[in-house]
Amino acid sequence: MRTRKRSKSEIPADAPGSDPFRLNGRASESNPIRRKNKEMRIRSVQTILGVSSTQGELVRQSLRLARLLVICVGLVFTASAAPSFGQQPATPQNPPSSTIPDVKCVIGLENIKPGATGTLASLPTGLEFTTGNKKAAITISSIQDVFTGRESRQDVSGMGGTLVEAAIPYGGGRFVSLFSHKVDVLAVEYVDSDGGFHGAIFVLSAGKATAFKNQLVAQGAKVSTHVEAPEPKEQKQ
Amino acid sequence: MKPLSRCPILSIFWFGVGGAALLIGASLLAQPCAAGNPEPAAPQTQKLTASAVQLERILPPQDLLIPEDTRVSMYENVILQLIKTKKFQHVYRSGDRTAADAPDLVVLHLIPEAFKPGSQKEREVITIAGATSIKVKVQFTSREDKVLLEKDVVGKVRFYGENMRATYDLAKKVAALVNESF
Repeated sequence: MRTRKRSKSEIPADAPGSDPFRLNGRASESNPIRRKNKEMRIRSVQTILGVSSTQGELVRQSLRLARLLVICVGLVFTASAAPSFGQQPATPQNPPSSTIPDVKCVIGLENIKPGATGTLASLPTGLEFTTGNKKAAITISSIQDVFTGRESRQDVSGMGGTLVEAAIPYGGGRFVSLFSHKVDVLAVEYVDSDGGFHGAIFVLSAGKATAFKNQLVAQGAKVSTHVEAPEPKEQKQ
Repeated sequence: MKPLSRCPILSIFWFGVGGAALLIGASLLAQPCAAGNPEPAAPQTQKLTASAVQLERILPPQDLLIPEDTRVSMYENVILQLIKTKKFQHVYRSGDRTAADAPDLVVLHLIPEAFKPGSQKEREVITIAGATSIKVKVQFTSREDKVLLEKDVVGKVRFYGENMRATYDLAKKVAALVNESF
């Protein structure tokens, strides 16, 4: 078979026998610069193909660990953001409902323990808060004023949450404290049958207090115009 | 391993002893003088007596902005704490018509003087920042508006708890004042 000796530029890249990583050849053995270049290529090939190399394994392991860390951090952020993502779109879509579950009565209702969680309902006669088997009602005619506000609540709070935060080493509890969610606050001022002044405070999920207030106003509750107090610092951010 | 030197331990010990001695000395100096050394007698606080108390609505001055929920929470917490003191047979709310029949009624006014809105997040993350505080002038008056007792009280939440917890702290302090004065 006759073969014509071709210059390097003439040889196509995909031609058989034009392997740039070929090791044997007289030219490479003779020229030290070429030999060095080839050695470098061999090293890079070994790294890419995963040929046994301790450095490569280390790099791969650290990359795998980094990937795991990124996934874990992402999961934590997703889990913490999930409730707020779930709440925000619900506000404009839902019409003002007459019953709001998971409402916390902070203080101010007769026969209801401060801090009780229950259902707040808007009835034609007024508003009613139900928790367990206890009920408290405020008639529309007795309502003197209704206020709404917005506050921020920590995702991890209470005695248990505080203990968990304290138990995380290296001050990690402070990182947990960074996660919070917005809530609406509804304050209702009313008078009892003797004319005694009362005030009830409810904490609702974000975006529900204004609709509830509007519903009460539509039913005939008195509302005065008032100056908005400055919002707490974290709400400005 | 090289054992720990005793020098730092000893120096820390003597530093602690010196600090304790200074504290004891300062507290002894701060105490009122003994009977042998005559000193102008402090004005003795006369105990007030009343069978009923009426808490008036909290109306902040126009130049002071307080969130409405804080104002309402302050009122309700003070009512609860006044009942808990058991110093009065009746605790009347503002506007209660039945209070007119009470024989010796004192009226409690809470006049907000200052309000600093804090941040729960700041408190829990930075610890030294984000405190919420409310300063209120507590005024006990007779039915005829004669001032019987007046004192400034500050409600605070410094480390853990929601902003509204400052109102609970304030109410506890008002109750302590009632226990002292009645």
